Amino acid sequence: MSYELTIEPLGHTIEVEDGQTILDAALRAGIYLPHACCHGLCATCKVQVVDGEVDHGEASTFALMDFEREEGKTLACCARLECDTVIEAEIDEDPDAENLPVEDYVGEVVRIEALTPTIRGIWLKLDRPMHFQAGQYTNLEVAAVGGQSRAFSLASPPQQSDVVELNVRIVPGGQVTTWLHENLKVGEALKLSGPYGRFFVKKSANVPLIFMAGGSGLSSPKSMIEDLLNDGCELPMTLIYGQRSQAELYYHAEFWALAAKHANFNYVPTLSHEPEGSDWNGARGFVHEAAKAHFNNDFRGHKAYLCGPPAMIEACISTLMQGRLFERDIYMEKFFSAADASQQLKSPLFKNI
Amino acid sequence: MDMHATKKKLGIKEKYAHMTRGLDWETSYQPMDKVFPQATFEGIKIHDWDKWEDPFRLTMDSYWKYQAEKERKLYAVLDAFAQNNGHLGLTDARYLNAIKLFLTGISPLEYVAHRGFAAAGRNFPGVGPRVACLMQSVDEMRHAQTQIHALSNYNKHYDGFHDFKHMLERVWYLSVPKSFFDDAFSAGPFEYMIAIGFSFEYVLTNLLFVPFMSGAAYNGDMATVTFGFSAQSDEARHMTLGLECIKFMLEQDPDNLPIVQKWIDKWAWRGVRVLTLVAMMMDYMLPKRVMSWKEAWEIYFEQNGGALFADLARYGITMPECLKQCSIDKEHIGHQAWATFYQYGGAAAFHTWMPSDDEMDWLSAKYPNTFDKYYRARFTHWRDEAEKGNRFYSNTLPMLCQVCQIPMLFTEPDDPTTICYRESDYDGEKYHTCSDGCKHIFDNEPQKYIQAWLPVHQIYQGNCFPEGTDPTVEGFDPLAKVLEWYHFDNGHDNLDFEGSRDQANFAAWRGMATKNT
Repeated sequence: MSYELTIEPLGHTIEVEDGQTILDAALRAGIYLPHACCHGLCATCKVQVVDGEVDHGEASTFALMDFEREEGKTLACCARLECDTVIEAEIDEDPDAENLPVEDYVGEVVRIEALTPTIRGIWLKLDRPMHFQAGQYTNLEVAAVGGQSRAFSLASPPQQSDVVELNVRIVPGGQVTTWLHENLKVGEALKLSGPYGRFFVKKSANVPLIFMAGGSGLSSPKSMIEDLLNDGCELPMTLIYGQRSQAELYYHAEFWALAAKHANFNYVPTLSHEPEGSDWNGARGFVHEAAKAHFNNDFRGHKAYLCGPPAMIEACISTLMQGRLFERDIYMEKFFSAADASQQLKSPLFKNI
Repeated sequence: MDMHATKKKLGIKEKYAHMTRGLDWETSYQPMDKVFPQATFEGIKIHDWDKWEDPFRLTMDSYWKYQAEKERKLYAVLDAFAQNNGHLGLTDARYLNAIKLFLTGISPLEYVAHRGFAAAGRNFPGVGPRVACLMQSVDEMRHAQTQIHALSNYNKHYDGFHDFKHMLERVWYLSVPKSFFDDAFSAGPFEYMIAIGFSFEYVLTNLLFVPFMSGAAYNGDMATVTFGFSAQSDEARHMTLGLECIKFMLEQDPDNLPIVQKWIDKWAWRGVRVLTLVAMMMDYMLPKRVMSWKEAWEIYFEQNGGALFADLARYGITMPECLKQCSIDKEHIGHQAWATFYQYGGAAAFHTWMPSDDEMDWLSAKYPNTFDKYYRARFTHWRDEAEKGNRFYSNTLPMLCQVCQIPMLFTEPDDPTTICYRESDYDGEKYHTCSDGCKHIFDNEPQKYIQAWLPVHQIYQGNCFPEGTDPTVEGFDPLAKVLEWYHFDNGHDNLDFEGSRDQANFAAWRGMATKNT
């Protein structure tokens, strides 16, 4: 027995299974509700029941006060539906979020290419087109290594929805990426689900864009830039793209070609470990250093999209902030693993960066 | 037929924005800078008050409901505690002295914080921080009230709880927390927010609250624990306000960075000095210990505070230089403060004592680098003398630091056997401070700190005796007269715990509660 749940202010209606919590159903439907502890203690996921009936489950009496229960508040992480229900949640209405549902797909490998000694491009022809936003990611399942799945950003633009491109860096000792590098053959089929993630371009802001990419973090920015240019976007946009050396600077020629074709697209490649005296005449140093020099330490009036290894992200955030661009204009994909949560002690000064 | 188009509903966030938007106005018959005279003198530049993001989004209506339910729960526990003689369930009557210190030194500060936030709110030209300060101002008032109510039950049974408000404005060691808040309150609204909203409520609050509330839980003080629970959700909100405030200042103008940095440096050190009282409480006054001061400092400051300063570094803020000294001081300040209070136990409104052998072993284990080496022998000697009937009381008056007003009891960072003295010259006079941190603060604003009301100076000037006192009469006892002026019940509120009325009464009443004779 399932019920229908309508989530305001989005106006989306989703199915909720018997015994499933509101939070679980919403997240699975691609609707992000604020949440933290997930077991009824912190009250971050408090929502208003506008119509219908819910069971508050194991919500704590300190996190959900008696008068709040009377007023129809509930905690989404514990609440289960007893009939068709309408809730109102404190959602930062993001005019650029399409809230696309996650679905399962089967992709046939149609092309494999070594982009660098450690990164491989894999092209999958899907059983049906996937509707996604540039910057989002998929979970790829590999049956050969026990059905484990890994997240990979979509490197191709959404206009190209039947064949999608994933870039896979081999992780030393990593079972899935090693298998994908060493065993995957053209013609094989892989299961994947998507699209996931809240990392996409805030097109409605209509301000100049900065993309900062390094390591294997090029996929999302590449998809975003191609998407914008395909759509005829005329805002100034700049890609600061860093690798260690020329051998690792994949898609370099393609970005030069795009920059030559589109006057509003600036391409700034930079190399951190290129041997002295090589034929490289571009910038040397890290992404944040190249960005600071290119923008003369003044990033005001932009929105910045960051993708790359943690050390690069951290350096870029500091550089942007000291160049007067703050949290509300900085975006990045956050991949959480259990290890991240326990390892890092974070202050609550920032929510998203 | 007209189609009825359903308008898209407003989200909760948007609704709040609409409800609170336009609450402000430009004045017409008085210029704005006269209406907000304190908005600019500190040098903080604000260009867009609308960039302030209200971290609470709470209306007064829901605020009342929420707090009312919390207070119903709190007062139900307080009543039950009082009716069931909950005070007899304490671990030991020595614990009472920790909450005497809390009631006289901390609770009145909640009230001053209430006034301070009201004043800061009045002086901000932006409506966002003004509303946030109003809410916190009301919270602080409630905290003062609920703390006083939670502790008032003890006043029926024990000494030293009877006149905390009178004492705050007079007693030598209470001038430490009092002058801390006076310093903040007499600064501009932006400095007040960094001093109290950020440094105190965010960086240091866990080091104040957790030890007292966990101390209460470990020692059977249900009333105080429940107060702690009821205040906890407010504290979370206050911490958010402090963070929002510092972000706002730093993002508004690059010229704000050096000013904010200077304030963080100053208020981190001021706060740390006040927390000396907490260090001593944790290491000596709780019969059942929670953790050592050193451990608390490592968890709540070195780890959590370290993560905060790592994030603030993105704005260009650096960890205050003076805090580096704290990693040395954490091994000493609790012992040094307790030694001082033990010697001046005749002039404190709570009892003091020397630790038992078991407790000294605990201290050795928690402070392997310092306790046995620098303090154990002195404490053992004092205890032995007391057992022989020679309980030592110092009858002199200590020299106080011109900034933090703590007696000169701290040692040199590189030599724990030498008292640290610093001095500055200003306008032909010498001023003394207890540390590089306090000297630095003095030298930045000497005009402010030369006005300090230092209790020891005031006693020597004859300003701390009851009206009509004649110091020339034969046998004049200045200490007795000062204690009278403090409203201390000399012989009951002060002196050693051993032989005190609290000790005798607690033992007798607990005996009556557990035996039939």
